[in-house]
Order: sequence, then structure tokens, then C-alpha cells
Amino acid sequence: MDRLIYVAMTGAKQAMRAMTTVSHNLANVATTGFRADMQSFGSRPVEGEGLPTRVNAVVESQGWNRQNGTVVATGRDLDIAINGEGWLTVQLPDGSEAYTRAGDLRVTSAGTVENGDGHLVMGKNGPITLPEFQSIFIGDEGSISIVPIGQDPSTQVQVDRLKLVNPPAEDLVKGPQSLMQLKGGESAVEDGLVRIVTGSLESSNVNAAESLVQMIQLSRQYELQLKAVKTAEENEQASAALLRMQ
Amino acid sequence: MDSLWVAKTGLEAQQTRMSVVSNNLANVNTTGFKRGRAVFEDLLYEQVRQVGGSTSEDTESPTGLALGSGVRVVATEKIFSQGNHMETGNSLDVMVQGRGFFQVLMPDGDLAYTRDGSFMVDSDGRLVTANGYEVQPGVSIPPDALAISISSDGLIQAKLPGQSQLSTVGTFQLADFVNPAGLEATGQNLFLETTASGTAQVGTPGLDGLGMTVQGALEGSNVNVVEELVNMIETQRAYEMNSKAISTSDQMLEYLNQTL
Repeated sequence: MDRLIYVAMTGAKQAMRAMTTVSHNLANVATTGFRADMQSFGSRPVEGEGLPTRVNAVVESQGWNRQNGTVVATGRDLDIAINGEGWLTVQLPDGSEAYTRAGDLRVTSAGTVENGDGHLVMGKNGPITLPEFQSIFIGDEGSISIVPIGQDPSTQVQVDRLKLVNPPAEDLVKGPQSLMQLKGGESAVEDGLVRIVTGSLESSNVNAAESLVQMIQLSRQYELQLKAVKTAEENEQASAALLRMQ
Repeated sequence: MDSLWVAKTGLEAQQTRMSVVSNNLANVNTTGFKRGRAVFEDLLYEQVRQVGGSTSEDTESPTGLALGSGVRVVATEKIFSQGNHMETGNSLDVMVQGRGFFQVLMPDGDLAYTRDGSFMVDSDGRLVTANGYEVQPGVSIPPDALAISISSDGLIQAKLPGQSQLSTVGTFQLADFVNPAGLEATGQNLFLETTASGTAQVGTPGLDGLGMTVQGALEGSNVNVVEELVNMIETQRAYEMNSKAISTSDQMLEYLNQTL
């Protein structure tokens, strides 16, 4: 069989794979704090005997889109959005740290603070634990103040501070838990310059129009590759017909 | 074929969100209703090529390739912000201003909690909710009571004929939870205690951070109609985009089947 058919097949397969990423982004168009995945096609020459004519297309991840999502006001005390660059630190079940922009926090019955995905939110010294409170207030720089139960509203006690970090974006990769992690697996240091907005959430940064256009492009690209497969098949048939005994 | 299923998770999530939005809108006039919110998270990534994997003896792949597998709804959480104060003038309507729930005895003997304070008196003189469940601790209103007065700390007093002094017939006790969002909503404006909510801490209204009771008023639903309508538009568009992803994937496969 002509090798053309394999090269074209790889192209079609990779277009289909890229389509999965576009679907994933579109599925997460309303997920709080989601960062869109990006990808590009790379070429991989096939080395071997003869002329190096064959180049396979391979999807390469380009990481994630660094643009910030829109901040949407919700009015809930425990909803926070990061203003500008920065990340909220959460703890994974194995004790390591991961970073997220999803700040839909809630307090559990044990007094720990979780985000919407159920990951423990980290403070200055490990996961945050709050005493019983009457009301809670999270300041711009992440300080958590409470009015203890049974106290006057003027009694504000600062109990902890959110661990807000801002490691260089190129060091962050999306982990299998769909949270960001540092490439080497170490923990980021706290950054005092990260600011948050309380009573708001950051929406997903998926650009719907861009994703739809990407989808059209991928679908056409796929058809083009299949056309090449078809041509390879026709070539094959033509040569078979030539050799066929009349 | 993956992209079909990934887009399907998007459709499902938006469908769930639409149910939550519709439920909120349907309860825009329900006393003591707390609006819900669907919480999404992206699904696990399939690591096609591991980041940092060796591409040769001394080079490594700088990015790798991970394909996401869509979205799912992790929770539909209740938001316990205060609803509107609605003046009714009815002496048995009580609103909690601040934290806390009224305790209600269910027919099965369990306690349930509610913010709906539209109470009534049943044929035995007991103070019950609109569904006929008795308030805890039980209050019995004398049949000849001329007027009922409820103080901000929950004291229920009745004016009886021929008496100049009011006589105390019971008190309201409010229950509070560490994590009210962890309560299980069962319908009928009732919530049940769960391990996530923590145990109920019962106290006198106005003390220990509990809200005060206000007679002659009810707590309106905390649904914000404008916000829900915007949510509905957003949900609908997201749904359309996901169905577009399905139809595109479908066309790709159709083309495959026809061409080859």
C-alpha cells in the first residue's frame, strides 16, 4: 500500500483529536475559573530509507490560555475572584499543593474551607480552619476576618490569610486533577501583591467564537485529509486496473 | 469519537444548570426559599503524552499533550443569603432576621429545619407550619386567645380574655449550623441535617449570633430574577455551542463514512 494513505490518516486522526480539545473547552464554557486548553499541529518527519518525503502531523499541546476570565458579581461572602494575575492555593489529597482560579469557597462542618471542587484551601500555615463565626469577611489581600459567634459585629478577628501565589505562567501545567501544578512538583511561594475581589467569581476564559471557528477549521482540515486518503485509494485502484489481465 | 462524548458532558451540565435556574425562577415567590447554584468542574485529563517525558537521551518534551474529557456538575449548592422582608401583618407570621432555622417535627419523628415562618394553629391548638408539622419546642395556643405577641427573642405571649397581663405560651428556639450549605433540601421548604452541615446548635433568637424573630413578616425568596434570567441566557448559549460541537463531530464522521 502507498505510504500516502498513512500520512493522510495521521492528519485526519490528529484533527479528530484536536476536535476533542475544542469540545472540552466548549463543555467548560461556564466552569468557574476554567482555563482553556490550547494546541497546535507539529510536523514529525518520518526518517528511514529513501527520500525523506513523509511528514506526519502531530497535535502538540501549547499549554493553556493565560487570559483572565470575566469577573462576575455574585454577592456571596465566600465567593472570591482573583483580580489580575495570581492563583489560589488548594491542597490535593496527597498533601501537595495545586493552584486554581475557582474561588467558590465554602466552610465545612469541621471548620475547614473548601472550594467548589471540594479541595481544601490553603492559608498561611497549611489548610485553613475557622472557628465558629457569625459573619466572615475576606479582604483584598486575602486576609480572612470573622466576627466570632455571640460577639458584637465590631469585634473583628483576623484568623488566617489565603495563600495567594503568582508563579511564572510557563512553570504551571494542568495536572490530571484539572488543577494547575508547578512543573517540578514543588510549592510556590506566597506573593503579597496578588489581589482578590470578594463577592465575585471569575468565569471561564474560553472564547466561544474562537472555539467555534476552530471547530469549522478542524472539520474542513479533516475532510481534506480524508480526500487525500480517498485519492490514495483511487490511485491504488487505477494501478491495479492497469495490471489486471483483460 | 471522543469529541462527541466530551460535548455530551457539556450538554448534560448545561441541562442540569437549566433545571437549577428553572427551579429558582419557579420559587421566586416561595417564602423562605434559598436559591441554588450549579457548581461545575472540568473532568479528568487523559495524558496522551506526558509533559517532561524524554524525547531523547537528554531532551524532554516541554508541553506534553493532555486531552480533557469535558465537564460535570459537582454540586448544586444552596445560597443562604437573607431574603426580602415582606410585611404581612398576620400575627402568626414570623421571620428570622439573620442566621438560624425554625425546628419542625416531621411525621417520622425526625427534626427538620425551615426558614419559612408562616405558622398556623391546628385543631389541637398546636403551632404548626403550613404543611401541618409541629414547631419544636411545641407551642400550644389557648383557644380563647385574643391576640398573640412574639418578641424579638422568640417569646410567644397570648392575651387571654379577662386578664390584663399577657401570659407566656411558649418560646421559639432557632437552630444554627456551621455550614448551612451542607443541609439537605427535601422540598416543602424544609432542610435536613447532614454530616456536611454539622450538628444543629439550638439557641435563643438574638443571642450567640442567631438572628432575631420578627412578628408579622415573612422572609421572601432570595432569588434575584435578573440574575436568573442572565444565567438562563448564558446556559442556553452554552448548550447551543455544545450541540454545535456534537453536530460538527457528527459531520466529520459522516464525511468519513461517505468518502471511504
